[in-house]
Amino acid sequence: MTSVSTAPSALTRASETDHPSMPFVSQVVMMTRRSLMTSFRDPVAILPGFFINMFFLFIYTGSLGTASNFLPGLAGQSYLGFILPFSVISASLGTSGIAGQSIVRDIERGYFDKLLLTPINRWALLLGPMISASFILVLQTLLVVGVAVLMGLRPETGIPGVAALLVLSLLTGIAFAGFTVAIALRTGSAAATQGAGFLFFPLSFLTATFVPLSLLSGWIRTAAEINPITYIIDAGRAVLNTGWDNDIMIRALIACFVLGGITFTFALTSLRARARRK
Amino acid sequence: MSQSREIIAHDLVKRYGDFAAVDNISFKVNAGEVYGFLGPNGAGKSTTVTMLTTLSLPTSGTATVGGFDITRQANDVRRISGVTLQDVGLDPLMTSLELLTIQSRLFGMNSKQAKDRAMELLAIVKLNEPGVIKRPVGKYSGGMRRRLDLAMGLAHEPEILFLDEPTTGLDPASRRDIWAEVRRLNRELGMTIFLTTQYLEEADELADRIAIMVKGKIAIEGQPEALKSSLGSESINVTFKDADSAASAKDELAEMFDRVQLDRRMVRLYKNGAAQVVPAVVNRLNERALVPTSLTLTTPTLDDVFLQVTGQTINNDTEEDEPAA
Repeated sequence: MTSVSTAPSALTRASETDHPSMPFVSQVVMMTRRSLMTSFRDPVAILPGFFINMFFLFIYTGSLGTASNFLPGLAGQSYLGFILPFSVISASLGTSGIAGQSIVRDIERGYFDKLLLTPINRWALLLGPMISASFILVLQTLLVVGVAVLMGLRPETGIPGVAALLVLSLLTGIAFAGFTVAIALRTGSAAATQGAGFLFFPLSFLTATFVPLSLLSGWIRTAAEINPITYIIDAGRAVLNTGWDNDIMIRALIACFVLGGITFTFALTSLRARARRK
Repeated sequence: MSQSREIIAHDLVKRYGDFAAVDNISFKVNAGEVYGFLGPNGAGKSTTVTMLTTLSLPTSGTATVGGFDITRQANDVRRISGVTLQDVGLDPLMTSLELLTIQSRLFGMNSKQAKDRAMELLAIVKLNEPGVIKRPVGKYSGGMRRRLDLAMGLAHEPEILFLDEPTTGLDPASRRDIWAEVRRLNRELGMTIFLTTQYLEEADELADRIAIMVKGKIAIEGQPEALKSSLGSESINVTFKDADSAASAKDELAEMFDRVQLDRRMVRLYKNGAAQVVPAVVNRLNERALVPTSLTLTTPTLDDVFLQVTGQTINNDTEEDEPAA
């Protein structure tokens, strides 16, 4: 056997930090494009979200469409415009799972380990699938708004309002995707990741889902007031039904960033746990 | 050849609870050398590779890859190493060109350089036909995926390449393609190659030096020719229809040879100038009514070295080379 005369630690070379590496933003863009590309190559994961989204919109509008005639606070408003932001939130819960599933697929196929052996920035590894899932959500939102317009919706704030709704759906999508990515990294399991999206469903109902916040009372009103989703839905309703309100919009943006901050931190700690060498 | 292309392990240990998957091994791979790491399943070969490639930490001991410490300088180790793990790691929904372009870009190439490098690598591993480039990797055969995985490990022109059982499950033609490429990388680019394999023929074909690992320990290390010569002699291999006959033959013939080994239905008889005693062996077997099914005369092979070291032959379960579902 070859004898090793010197302990390796005595021979180590100085780290070389000046080697070129891909800029962070370019890494995020590349990983987002990759996730989008693979998502559209496997559309089975995208289509159900869109159809469920449309289904909810038709059902709620069909069964509660005349509620604005008798519910205080909704007089003169479109119930379609009132319920559509909730439909977007429901869609974001389903679509966020795409990000987690994409991570699970990489883990199962061994590609995730291959990426970990490259100098990729860990944030880019997370943000790629998260942003990609939120882009898909924006696309779904655009289609749902288009269908709602055909059903008679006339957004109060016009095209800028719809654009604001799309920005909110983008941010909400990123926030929810962070959670499914975290679960994917923690478990490496497709089933657990799929289930993770549903954990947020109760949260989406603990809001002023079907009636205005002013009509809620007791514990459910308290829960709705604490729930960040309430503020995102409020902003969507404002741009579609009542017009611009800067305070509501700022509250919605803060809610998105708080939710996103929490889920992204969870995803990042989960990635560190997975990438930690044992 | 730069010393920075060496791999040095010193008292390396990897434990899982009470089980030592790698048990205090030390070795040195010289710059520009192909080092074969042989052993049966579960010997600890892949565990050693995961430590050297920074995917897992040693329980104790140290190692440097290209002069960088695997524990403290993991990023530097990754930058100078290419890795092809035992399980192919590819996204089946992407094409080979897309995967190689992303891999090259992550190592700092711009878009054009990355695409050029990807095409160059596809040509090297013979996956550059237009129909193949555009096909999702999920529709590749096992051999094509292995070749692409090798190309992924080469994207950033590494100084040191780790190949963990690169030909397991491949058909003979694909295996020979990989061998040719490994030889080219080593000879033309001076790449240091750490190769784990279950195939003795592969190690014999490619490796400048080999180590045989058994139950987490290195049992023997050296140049293949030297190891074979250390057995010293030609052997007569006599096979019988059953193990009992082989055992009886072993007892009958032992006194005529320097060394005798029984391996199920085969008896291996070692002696310098073994050819000259073949008639005597046949006569002795006839006298004892032991009828062989075959009798061959061979010079020592790595199989003999492996058998001598481990007391068993190596088992290769060859898988089919089928396209993925």
